[in-house]
Amino acid sequence: MINLTINGKKITAPEGSTILEAARANGIDIPTLCYDKAVEIYGACGLCVVEAEGIPKLLRSCSAKVMEGMVVNTESERVVQSRKIAMELLMSAHDGDCVAPCQLNCPAHTDCQGYVGMIANGEFDSALKIIKNNIPLPASIGRVCPHPCEKACRRKNVEEPINIAQLKAFAADVDLNGDSYVPECKEPTGKKVAVIGAGPAGLSAAYYLTVMGHSVTVYDMMDKAGGMLRYGIPQYRLPKEVLDKEISIIEKTGVKFVYNSKLGRDFTIESLKAENDAVIVAVGAWKSSSMRTPGEELDGVYGGIDFLRGVIKGNAPDIGEKVAICGGGNTAMDACRTAVRLGAKEVYVVYRRTRNEMPADKLEIDEAEEEGVIYKFLTNPLSFNGENGKVKSITLQVMELGEPDASGRRRPVPVEGKTEEIAVDSVILAIGQKLVQGDVSELKLNERGNIEADPDFFNTSIDGVFAIGDATNRGASIAIEAIGEADRCARAVDAYLNGQAFDTRVPYISKRDESTIDYSDREKQSRITPKVLPADVRNKSFDEVSLGFTEDEAKAEASRCLECGCREYYKCKLLNVAQRYDIDPDRFKGEMPQKYTRDENAFIERNPAKCILCGLCVRSCREVMDIHALGLMGRGFKTEPSPAFALPLDQTKCNNCGLCVQLCPTGALTERSSLKKQVPLDENCTEEFVEIGGKKARVLVSRYNGKVLRVIPGDEVSRNAGLSREELFGLIKD
Amino acid sequence: MRIVIGQGSCGIAAGAEKVRAALADAGVAENVSITGCIGMCWLEPIVDVYDGDALTRLVRVSESDAPAIAEFVKTGDKSAVEGLVVSDEDSEFLTKQTRIALRNCGVINPEKIEEYMEKDGYSALKKALAMSPEEVIEIIKTSGLAGRGGAGFPTWFKWNAARQSAGDEKYLICNADEGDPGAFMDRAVIESDPHNLIEGMLIGAYAIGAKHAVVYVRAEYPLAIKRLKNALAQAKEKGIIGDNIFGSGFSCDFMIKAGAGAFVCGEETALIESLEGHRGMPRLKPPFPAQSGFWRKPSNINNVETFANVAWIINNGGEAFAAMGTEGSKGTKVFAVTGKVKRSGLVEIPMGKTLRDVIFDIGGGMKTDKPFKAVQMGGPSGGCIPAELIDTVIDYKALGATGAIMGSGGMVVMDESTCMVGMAKFFLDFTAKESCGKCIHCRIGTKRMLEMLDRITKGEGKDGDVELLEELCYSIKDGALCGLGQTAPNPVLTTIKYFRNEYEAHIKDKKCPAGECSDLIEYKIIADKCRGCTLCARNCPVNAISGTVKNPHVIDTEKCIKCGKCYQSCKFGAIVKE
Repeated sequence: MINLTINGKKITAPEGSTILEAARANGIDIPTLCYDKAVEIYGACGLCVVEAEGIPKLLRSCSAKVMEGMVVNTESERVVQSRKIAMELLMSAHDGDCVAPCQLNCPAHTDCQGYVGMIANGEFDSALKIIKNNIPLPASIGRVCPHPCEKACRRKNVEEPINIAQLKAFAADVDLNGDSYVPECKEPTGKKVAVIGAGPAGLSAAYYLTVMGHSVTVYDMMDKAGGMLRYGIPQYRLPKEVLDKEISIIEKTGVKFVYNSKLGRDFTIESLKAENDAVIVAVGAWKSSSMRTPGEELDGVYGGIDFLRGVIKGNAPDIGEKVAICGGGNTAMDACRTAVRLGAKEVYVVYRRTRNEMPADKLEIDEAEEEGVIYKFLTNPLSFNGENGKVKSITLQVMELGEPDASGRRRPVPVEGKTEEIAVDSVILAIGQKLVQGDVSELKLNERGNIEADPDFFNTSIDGVFAIGDATNRGASIAIEAIGEADRCARAVDAYLNGQAFDTRVPYISKRDESTIDYSDREKQSRITPKVLPADVRNKSFDEVSLGFTEDEAKAEASRCLECGCREYYKCKLLNVAQRYDIDPDRFKGEMPQKYTRDENAFIERNPAKCILCGLCVRSCREVMDIHALGLMGRGFKTEPSPAFALPLDQTKCNNCGLCVQLCPTGALTERSSLKKQVPLDENCTEEFVEIGGKKARVLVSRYNGKVLRVIPGDEVSRNAGLSREELFGLIKD
Repeated sequence: MRIVIGQGSCGIAAGAEKVRAALADAGVAENVSITGCIGMCWLEPIVDVYDGDALTRLVRVSESDAPAIAEFVKTGDKSAVEGLVVSDEDSEFLTKQTRIALRNCGVINPEKIEEYMEKDGYSALKKALAMSPEEVIEIIKTSGLAGRGGAGFPTWFKWNAARQSAGDEKYLICNADEGDPGAFMDRAVIESDPHNLIEGMLIGAYAIGAKHAVVYVRAEYPLAIKRLKNALAQAKEKGIIGDNIFGSGFSCDFMIKAGAGAFVCGEETALIESLEGHRGMPRLKPPFPAQSGFWRKPSNINNVETFANVAWIINNGGEAFAAMGTEGSKGTKVFAVTGKVKRSGLVEIPMGKTLRDVIFDIGGGMKTDKPFKAVQMGGPSGGCIPAELIDTVIDYKALGATGAIMGSGGMVVMDESTCMVGMAKFFLDFTAKESCGKCIHCRIGTKRMLEMLDRITKGEGKDGDVELLEELCYSIKDGALCGLGQTAPNPVLTTIKYFRNEYEAHIKDKKCPAGECSDLIEYKIIADKCRGCTLCARNCPVNAISGTVKNPHVIDTEKCIKCGKCYQSCKFGAIVKE
């Protein structure tokens, strides 16, 4: 035995063993990408380098043998720098998306590609579970979300983005109409958390913390939960029955609710804090913003959300026949379409820019117009004019578009001396909403008048009190934003309750340069949108406008997904090493060595753009299988593993043993799963033994949600048995 | 009188074959024989006329000179060739050298073993075979001979390691995969004195106990391969290779392997992979070839020039070799001097001389009136040495201290018109293309460096680029798997070290001080100096120059492709490059 020291730890190792073997045998992890026991030592990746006292060069620990008295450091500054640069270089030439752009653009980081893919496969149950990892209210959110995911969806570069939001609503509806999924909660921790506000933020935080095993009570001033989803979104867009069902599932996880209980009136933050281990303030923004236009105080001028809440609670104000809504966002759309349904004859939307600049969803804008709404673009209220204290008309300043402003939209500027007047019976101001400050007087507010909460940890001016959602920092935003905050906040609170540090670092992931992506080989397929009620029917009723996807429509729409995110994301060794060091590959941004392609056969997908040239595929095919189906082609930066003369794999002696795929440390080689649409999934991989030709053989099985997705030969017997994938599948039970 | 024509590849390229044919036509065919490379590249084709031992060297000979030469040979009347005789000054190029490795080059006929034997050929082998292998290694140790391929590792040490390795099957390999741009000393040795190589290799094989010798020579050297094959056949016929050589009981066979043209195959482990029929990619060391090399057997690999010294050392003693040179670097070294130097060619001088001796004393200084700027030593793996270090001594350590290396002996001389960023880019482009693609640092690192250098020379450099280049350079040196990658940053590091201001000028001022980077220069006509001769306008390939006769002309910078034709053609210095 040889005595040596690694990272200050005295160890012994058999003579002839390598430093890497000695380190690993003693629980010291040295990263490698090109090393595998199955094949000969290669030394390409250089990640296993270590420093040894008295040796000027860095040693590749995969090949350097242990020596008596050796003093090795596997994490010295020089070693880390070498690995860091190696990874930066490697990732600068790795053309792939770890995660799809839809997921990255979702404020709640929902795995859109995952659930869309599972819907395409008809696996609605799996789809719903994927959604519920990030959204506790998917049927509601699927209906109301302005879907930032779809803005990032690359399918738009082919024709139109995937209808991600409505697919989510579809999967959630299937679940609500069947045996609804209720997640299992962890062992009770004995910790108590109070949440103030039962809107999307509060509900979500309560759900996540309950699943984590904490005891959570939600306090709300209204008589039902849902917050703005209930009192701000009209019935025709989100039927309250759907919301009720979703809230009842949250209740089933164990969340307790206290209704009609208002902060400042019935309890204080301090009083809750005294009874709980942590408090989350998610009170929302319930006050309509003012336009500071003369005449706002007149009778018949309403705040947008006040108006909507009145209608929902059954005490709609008398708005008369002529109604003007000021604003261009989704609240303005909700207000004007509600006004139409209340029977108003002339409904105007006054907006100072044009249709193109409207922040509201395009579908909403179109549907409102179909229902009879009249747009007054490029106008801005100068004054609301009244008679006997009641609004009678609006004087509108005519505008034109000037130079773009900070938001990139062209700034509206008044056309000197040009005004217009419209007669109205009522006006609804839908230009935004604010926090009711008096309610949260215990907390420090920022210069915008919102609760100041740390953007990473969500803690406020009071220890143990956290704040999220519309009431905080930059003010009101969309529901999915609040849900994303709730998710992160729940983890921060969990860490706080356990006395642990909360890691806010965003781990590195690889992203493709959008400008380099070629879509020319994609076949055009139109976006499918669920049918809606005819305009002349829906404008008289509060019935839900969208009829939702049919199963076939949903599958067809979901099948359009381009599958941007990598299938190997959950088990990528490359990503694992990349995230271990604080890397910035953009420092070395440059040409990519290989074209992004998808060379697919029945089992294997090959994408040389993701290859890191560890050589494991080439070497295992040669050294273990003696098949030589793959070799290295090209030189230098353009080197790639390929069959000889760049022939397709099926013109080689490849016997589909799958060893190369198994050893590939990243997504350059992937084995197709039994699913029709391939989906990146956090699969459960196990090693199982079967009998092949009377011999015991090892196979590697991966399952998801109980379903067998892959069966790969795992030893010499199974690799050389010559069984097809179907035959291998036949040996394994679901 | 005998006529000897220099028939190395360079002589042939300059027209030696045509001269030979013309001489035959002129009726002196029976007097003509050939020799290899004389080493005076700038004077090719060269015809040596011997009257007994008296030599008349005729240079820059063309076919039309054949009748005059024939006349001289027939009549002895030198006046017929007076204009062709080499100048005394140019002759100094050879007389100032000390030739050991090149001792027979340009002297004997490389296709005739007899001429080699006349120069004591194969006497060293006989001598060595009479000694024990250990005694041979001891002589080499005394000589201080170090590997001439670049790394400068003591030859005796490698021989001894291979000798000590267990096993009967051992290989002696000659690395003739000379790949550095601008280096051609190994080719010259094989083309001009192949038996010297064979003799050195046989002595080496005997010393380490190898029964098989292999010459790995690049396929781009067809003449070298032809002459080596011819020499091997002759040696075999004489019983010098094969079984029981000179009755000593020592047997050794030879094999030639033509490499397919990858620079990395000059790296010893990649060379072995290639020999075995695999893709030329380096293996991890350890194990070293002395333990596990060709076919996993103990193998010793030396460069051509190293072997070319061996026979001389055995004949003259290790002490005689060690008497030349410095404390740490013994014997002589051959340099291939090229670039902006007046006399370019092969220079063999004792270690311990200075760069000034090579470039100015022997090389004759600069070709143009522009001052000497720097010399690139050791090809793409080496570095540049600036004018202020011209008195650096030729010694492994002293050259290493500058950031350059001795290398295989390439010496590219540059004057003030050479952009140092462009020079670094040139060599990096070479190494990036020649990277085998195995390790990350070399495959991607050299490519990223090249991209950065490319940006800088295009005026798209950013603040911090030089620092990032340096960071990357050190990381590549530390992390690359083989010598190719580990030394690839040297041209960049040394140009940054000595010419950082040039990098800064490209990055900050978007200017190329040497006026070489076409994206950063502009040609302009100074109206006062322009006489309106129209020559520039007529020479412009893209009609970017307008103007009428006797009136100042103007360059349309939008159209200009910066080819420099106008600049070269103007007789009045009216065109400037800025």
